[in-house]
Amino acid sequence: MTFQKTLGLALALVLTAPLAPASAAEIGAAAPAFTLTDIDGQSRSLEDFAGQTVVLEWTNHECPFVKKHYNGGNMQRQQAEATGKGIAWLVINSSAPGKQGHVTPEQARAIQADWEAGQSAYLFDTDGEVGRAYGAKTTPHMYIIDADGVLRYNGAIDSIQSADVADIEKAEQFVEIALAELAASEPVSQPLTRPYGCSVKY
Amino acid sequence: MRPLLPSLMLPVLLLGLLATAAPEHSLAQAEPPALRTDHLYSRLVAEDQAIVPGESLRVGLWLRHDPEWHTYWRNPGDSGLPTRIELGLPPGFTAGPVQWPIPERLPVGPLVNFGYSHTIVLPIDIAVPAQLDAERVTIRAHADWLVCRVECIPGEGEYSLVLPVAKEATGDPRWVADFARADRLQPEPAAGEATMSFTDETVEIRLPSHVVGASGPEPGMSIGPGWVFFPATPDVVSNTAEPRWLDTGNGLALVLPKNDYFVTEPARFEFLLARGETGTHFEARPVTAADGAGPAPVEAAGSAADAGAPGAPRLPAAPGILLALGLAVLGGLALNLMPCVFPVLFLKAAGAIEAADDRGRLRRQGLFYTAGVVLSFVAVAAVLLALRASGEALGWGFQLQSPVFVAALVLLFFVLAMNFAGLLEFGGRLAGAGQGLTQGSSDRAAFFTGVLACLVASPCTAPFMGVALGVAITLSAPAALAIFAALGLGLALPILALGWVPGLARLLPRPGPWMQTFRQLLAFPLLLTVAWLMWVYGEQTSARAMSWLLAALVGVAFGLWLLRIHWRWPGYALLALCIALPLLRAPAPSAPADRAAGEAAAMHERWTPARLAELRAAGEPVLVNMTAAWCITCLANERVALSSGAVRDALRARGVHYLKGDWTSRDAEITAYLESFGRSGVPLYVLYPADGGEPVVLPQLLTAEMVRQAIEQI
Repeated sequence: MTFQKTLGLALALVLTAPLAPASAAEIGAAAPAFTLTDIDGQSRSLEDFAGQTVVLEWTNHECPFVKKHYNGGNMQRQQAEATGKGIAWLVINSSAPGKQGHVTPEQARAIQADWEAGQSAYLFDTDGEVGRAYGAKTTPHMYIIDADGVLRYNGAIDSIQSADVADIEKAEQFVEIALAELAASEPVSQPLTRPYGCSVKY
Repeated sequence: MRPLLPSLMLPVLLLGLLATAAPEHSLAQAEPPALRTDHLYSRLVAEDQAIVPGESLRVGLWLRHDPEWHTYWRNPGDSGLPTRIELGLPPGFTAGPVQWPIPERLPVGPLVNFGYSHTIVLPIDIAVPAQLDAERVTIRAHADWLVCRVECIPGEGEYSLVLPVAKEATGDPRWVADFARADRLQPEPAAGEATMSFTDETVEIRLPSHVVGASGPEPGMSIGPGWVFFPATPDVVSNTAEPRWLDTGNGLALVLPKNDYFVTEPARFEFLLARGETGTHFEARPVTAADGAGPAPVEAAGSAADAGAPGAPRLPAAPGILLALGLAVLGGLALNLMPCVFPVLFLKAAGAIEAADDRGRLRRQGLFYTAGVVLSFVAVAAVLLALRASGEALGWGFQLQSPVFVAALVLLFFVLAMNFAGLLEFGGRLAGAGQGLTQGSSDRAAFFTGVLACLVASPCTAPFMGVALGVAITLSAPAALAIFAALGLGLALPILALGWVPGLARLLPRPGPWMQTFRQLLAFPLLLTVAWLMWVYGEQTSARAMSWLLAALVGVAFGLWLLRIHWRWPGYALLALCIALPLLRAPAPSAPADRAAGEAAAMHERWTPARLAELRAAGEPVLVNMTAAWCITCLANERVALSSGAVRDALRARGVHYLKGDWTSRDAEITAYLESFGRSGVPLYVLYPADGGEPVVLPQLLTAEMVRQAIEQI
């Protein structure tokens, strides 16, 4: 081992400290590609859904804001309506091991079954790579990707920032509206809204 | 149309229906205890004990959070929800808006929130009608909030408060202090309006022209870098980024990246600039044609991180870029004398002694060495700036907050010590004393010796460096990099001077066998540095992890010995194993709480912003010491001055509370506190006089006498 190599090693350590990447998700641009493992241990890529509109939903079953939309039936209703129209609805869990909302596939299955959720797939993003690539900030945080893989919506599920189930029916359902606009080949009127909820537990 | 978000709604909704002004004939009930909900006590409180007709009544939502839990400001930041208060008032009463005190900046992973911890009152002024027939008045309130640590729990409460009507009122002693603190934390409205302009990526805000850049020696006299920026209107600018301060020559401007959810240019943008308990509330409107008459906006298109249009006037505030550069060179020069850098300097000097007669070679090596030092300083600075741009709360010395880096340094110093002691010769020719150096490898060796000097200098924050680096961090990126480069230049200066100052090289001693002996002697300061870094590592992790690292060192020594007896492959394998394992399997840093446990018996308390605010609110004198296990200046000061009998007696005699903040591992609150004093690293010593006087910042090198006098003068 030479002098330079020791130094190189030490310097590399200094310089490769992890840099938090800026979000690459931009409305109107190609959505960041990803491959994640689903609840059955299968590998699922965004590419697998090419030609289909895709909804991404960041989840954490212990978060009061996620509970609001499941206990109030809002999330399941939208999942059922969307998947009924051939839209892929992917639930993503970015909670790191040991953090709130981190679950085993069995637990995830039980939680979603208990809520009678109708997602197309439930994906684990345990290292948070996909969440960071999309800039997912909260649970829930919603994204819509069109059939060509272009990001069309990034933001909140609806317009009233609260954890109160009673607010659901008063709120404007951003995701539902955006999906309807996309189906009618119209531009999404509100492509970017501020998501609300618990911070994603990276 | 974009719907009205709740955070934009009037913070207070008046529900007149809920209350009546009917006299209450029942006896005044004992006031209900504070409402206990998850991790929070809350109650409705009034500043005075009675209501006076025709005057204003001050009420507030009183919140006491469990330690580590918080609720949110009017703009909660990247997640969270603002606390909402709805008052139920009798007819004729009208309530003003919630007077939000200056919040705390609360980083959570990559996000930043704004909110409150510990105890806070959110005050509301109520106008009381002049004619009031009732003997008692009931004020009701409903509030809801989100209380979070990392996880969040929504909560709500119903409150009522019965107050007698009287001709005059006295303050309620139970809440006076809390209201007083909320008052101190009220931002002052700015006298003028700010303007704002937008690029694709950024928002530039120009402060009203009467706002003077911080230029005097007195902190807190005027606004400038080091003040914390709080966006009150959400979704306009980034919550995580710190603003870049520009002096446009016509007032101060701030540049911030746009918020990820920026949709349209707002007609009005509110924000605070705050430092400690002082803050100013600004409103900005877009630049109009009339405003455009002034000098053109400084900021060219581009993100705030890429810092750049050259030629634009970019004069930083105090202490001025030239002064900062000068201080940086001096600081770098002083670094040469630190025990951890000195042996490396010797490596280089040995080469110089060899080459003393050859001016050309001396110059050439000096330049390569300088390049090595300056480039590595700039590289570390670039990493630091990039990390800060991405929202990490870091300061100088941040590398040492990572146990992996400390372990790497331990290994590096140990291998160096082995080399100096003679157990290992690097390639036979490289950088070795008393050996002829070939042209090519000596240039390279000179360059890497420079890199090495930068690496080993990192634990030693010399005096002067604190201020220079504090300035660097608040500047635009090119200016900040220039400061770090100046620091490197200072460090490299003695070697550089050898080649260029005539006669200097002739003063060097003659080469000879003494160099070999001296070189062996220098192995011992290096080993001492290993012992010290080992302790830092132990503080950051655990005795167990430290023992593993020690075992790895033994393995390294054994591996080197195997090489010496020509057992090459076992030797290399063992070395690789012993060097790679501690770096790859680094344990997580221990929580500050664990370390704090051991401090219980000591005379100081652990520093928290809340504890400091509490003591200050109570008018107590406080000494704040910001330190880190890896900061050798800090340790020397504690040993020599702060722990001395004279200082201890003075502290006791004056009743000064001694708060100690430990920055050994990362701590965003301490980073923010350092920045409020224009510093980016430890040590920092601040003495707060009793009864809320201006704090005094003590020098970075202390003597017991100096501290004693400072304490006695407050």
